[in-house]
Amino acid sequence: MSATLSSATRPASFDAASFEQFLKTRREPEWVTGLRRHAFEAYRESLVTELDPEEWKRVDIRAFRSDKFAIPAAAHSSTAMETLLADRAEFAGAVSHVDTNCTRTTLADKWVARGVLFGSLTDLIQTHGDVLKPHLMTRGVKPESDRFSAWHAAFWTGGTVLYVPRNVEVTEPLYSLIGLGTDGAADFSHTLIILEEGASATLLEETTSASPEHAGLHVGAVELLLASGSNLRYVQLQNWNDKVWHFAHQVGRVEADAYLQWTVGGLGSRLAHIHQDVFLDGRGASAEVNGVTFATEKQLISYYTQQTHNAPNTRSDLLYKDVVRDKARCIWRGMIKVAKDAQRTDGYQRNDGLILSDTCRVDAIPGLEIEADDVRCTHGATCGRVDEEQLFYCMCRGLTRGEAMHVIVEGFFQRVYDRIPVEIVRETLGHAVERKLGIGE
Amino acid sequence: MSDFERVATVSEIAPGGRLSILVDEIPSLLIRVGDDFFAIEDVCSHDGQPLTNGPLRDCSITCPRHGARFDLRTGQPLCMPATEPISTFEVQVRDGGVYVRPRP
Repeated sequence: MSATLSSATRPASFDAASFEQFLKTRREPEWVTGLRRHAFEAYRESLVTELDPEEWKRVDIRAFRSDKFAIPAAAHSSTAMETLLADRAEFAGAVSHVDTNCTRTTLADKWVARGVLFGSLTDLIQTHGDVLKPHLMTRGVKPESDRFSAWHAAFWTGGTVLYVPRNVEVTEPLYSLIGLGTDGAADFSHTLIILEEGASATLLEETTSASPEHAGLHVGAVELLLASGSNLRYVQLQNWNDKVWHFAHQVGRVEADAYLQWTVGGLGSRLAHIHQDVFLDGRGASAEVNGVTFATEKQLISYYTQQTHNAPNTRSDLLYKDVVRDKARCIWRGMIKVAKDAQRTDGYQRNDGLILSDTCRVDAIPGLEIEADDVRCTHGATCGRVDEEQLFYCMCRGLTRGEAMHVIVEGFFQRVYDRIPVEIVRETLGHAVERKLGIGE
Repeated sequence: MSDFERVATVSEIAPGGRLSILVDEIPSLLIRVGDDFFAIEDVCSHDGQPLTNGPLRDCSITCPRHGARFDLRTGQPLCMPATEPISTFEVQVRDGGVYVRPRP
């Protein structure tokens, strides 16, 4: 395959004929094809329906043209990916996808022996379909939610699957890479994590582009399904180049006494919109959601988060920190929903925005919908500029203005870093922030 | 810098009419007032949302939400709540076509 897909010869990528063509290349079990067909119908219907204005009115996608992107046929196995995380630690296993094709799968023997599955969805759907079938887009991401979830469900191209059997505790972290290697490539990765009762695991996932010049599209989905008493730490570091459109539906479902710690890093992309849902489905379920966003130039990074408490004695705690500069925009719309039966709920959400220039913008809109009458739910949002006096104070002590800015930005993010228990993630985010500030290596 | 790009034919837009276009990947509006064409960024500088269906008056467009008004020639805000200008683009009419490019 040529390194660059010519836009002149590329067909309309996502019409009915292309969909049939795509299905032929997949050779999947009938139930998977059935799900795809159902989703494709939903996708076609959604194209003539307006996107929910509550979620989308601040996210301007008028310049987005889906016909500029196509699913690549095959990846260059040699495509070099610059990663932030890959070489920073010893991982129990790693799965890499480049241009939608799985290029690497490893998992330490001791975990294979204990029944852990870790690999590409494309492969595991063939070999372990019975394990995945009850979970794949049934309880988490729903194809009919909107245009992007339906589009993803029809065209998903692979992605990382982690399945941990009952009471198995995977003590070392696992690593997953999603890369875009060619110009105009579309990636529809699906990350599916299933933890059975009492299981525990840590997965660090990273998205990256091979070249800063390549335009790309990611229509992704993440499903984190935690059975009772399980414990998952999931980190997704979105670090595309600034020519990638990133749309994702991400859902965590947490059963009784399970604990989900979910960290989202938003650094790259031209425009990113993430619909992130956390459901606390069982008594005693708990979730902590952390977000670190740094947008510069003309980037727009948008989050639509929901914490839904469906059971009593559940806890959710969301903290997002955004730094914006140049003409960038960051949008966060958050909601805590508490069902009638979810008494004794403890819900918290907070977004802090730090503005580094006159021309950038942060929109933060927290919200609560509470039907129970014995809960503690709090929310808040702050937004402000770097205090000139703080800069002056640092500069009086010998720092340049740039260094002073860095110290202040690091300090601003510190409260989120403190909540991230995986050291390499803290370090990596710190380095990435330095690079964006123009002072890192 | 970008070259002029053909975005419409003259006959396509009646006087007082408008067309949504992309200029340098920026959502924009091409507006015809009499025989003159103007191209503006289709985003209100006040709330960051589209001006697309805003009413036109005396070579200005009014934001349909909060009433901010912008000069089509310069992009300057003419009334509150907008205080910042919107971008405008260079327009050329030749051979029956309308050509637009970002300002240098």
